[in-house]
Amino acid sequence: MMDNWARVWTPANWERLLVGDLFNRGEIGGLALTLCIGLLAIAGSTVIGAVVGIMRASDRKALNLPATLYVQSFRNVPLLILVFWAYFLPPVFGIQTSKFLSVLVALTLFTGAYIAEIVQGGIRSVAAANLEAARVLGLTPRQIQFWVVLPQAFFNMLPALAGRYVVSMKNTSLAFLIGLMDLTEIGKQIGARLMTSPVEVYLTILLIYFVVNRGLVMCLRLLENRQSFNRLFLRI
Amino acid sequence: MNTDFSILWGDPGTLILSGLVVTVKLALCAFALAIIIGVVMGTLRWIGWRAVEPFCWVYIEFCRNTPPVVQLLFWYFSASFVLPMPVFMFLRDFGYEFGAAVIALAFYHGAFYAEVVRAGLNAVPKGQFEAARALGLGFLQSLRRVAFPQAIRVLVPPLVNETTALIKNTSLAMAIGVAEMTFQYRAIDNFMFRGIEALTVITVLYVILCLIAAWLGRLMNGYLSKHLHARNATAIADRQIVGGEIIR
Repeated sequence: MMDNWARVWTPANWERLLVGDLFNRGEIGGLALTLCIGLLAIAGSTVIGAVVGIMRASDRKALNLPATLYVQSFRNVPLLILVFWAYFLPPVFGIQTSKFLSVLVALTLFTGAYIAEIVQGGIRSVAAANLEAARVLGLTPRQIQFWVVLPQAFFNMLPALAGRYVVSMKNTSLAFLIGLMDLTEIGKQIGARLMTSPVEVYLTILLIYFVVNRGLVMCLRLLENRQSFNRLFLRI
Repeated sequence: MNTDFSILWGDPGTLILSGLVVTVKLALCAFALAIIIGVVMGTLRWIGWRAVEPFCWVYIEFCRNTPPVVQLLFWYFSASFVLPMPVFMFLRDFGYEFGAAVIALAFYHGAFYAEVVRAGLNAVPKGQFEAARALGLGFLQSLRRVAFPQAIRVLVPPLVNETTALIKNTSLAMAIGVAEMTFQYRAIDNFMFRGIEALTVITVLYVILCLIAAWLGRLMNGYLSKHLHARNATAIADRQIVGGEIIR
């Protein structure tokens, strides 16, 4: 039993799991690639989600309708199918794409649809009395959105947002299905080479993902209430 | 770009249909197992027995924070080491890929269902359960007659969300070679070079499956709010009157 663990946890294997073939062949891979895709997708989808979410929360039909269409169509399709679309559709029109880019685009659009829902819910959750008070105090509509609604919505939606970020971090593992060298693919290769210790290999990968995602959750929990947010960023 | 959807009346169409059947089967089996795991685990976490608490926590947190694909690979490749031999032999006779996919998806989504169930039970005031116990109802009886009927109304919408996620995640089973829809699409793309057409069709089919799940959820919600609510509303009204009396 310990033998198997020793065979899996060699320095060479750990290097491949963490950075892939970065030092041998100059190709980034493993956990580094997973984090790259995950963090870029999180950043991009937050931007998309914020814009689309605000559009969904508005009463104007011209803003609301396209946003609703986007959210509904992207939420009801498996991410894997979106990855295949992003990978196989552009070449049909003669556009060159890369595996990295197609996974990133698919993941960003998919997560963006979910985040839009969260943002919309956050905006709706701000009590109407706040808006009335702001209007009475003479704030312009833009000021009301920026200084009254969005800050409150932000703290209301943080727990849901944290959950969504973890899901998108987990979903980066789909990259291996179109042949990217991410953590899952490297682990699969190590498992295939050793052949006798799949339990140890896959438990190791699961453990790495677990540590990363728990870490992400704990970081986001620091922001979860106003006090700790202010302490961290505003030094109040 | 030249697409020709008429090819779907031939072999590709039958392949996609057979894939659809496998997808639906997989989703139903995984859903049944996941619901059982979810209800048991969620209830155990809600009760908070010291003896099982750490075990439940480890299970739920581990399954929620790791990717479903890796869990699928784990259950597929290390089944002969992890599962008891008779169980493995039994599953192997059906084609083990399907069994592994069911187990992995059930454990993964079971953890999410457990959180949903726990949140639903948390929405019921703890006093309800304690009062039922004090009035002499058995443990399971007070869960079944008092806690769950009140929790289930809060619980249906997130449950539906999770179930659509489960349906969507069945597409991952292609990673271990279960012949479901996405797998058949890859086959059609590889052997007949009709990728875009097949991809369009299975995208539409997935959307339809998800919408059906959402529709069933809405139906259930409506049924529950009509039947459970009517009865509970009078109960709540009674309780408020009684409460008022006591305060006075």
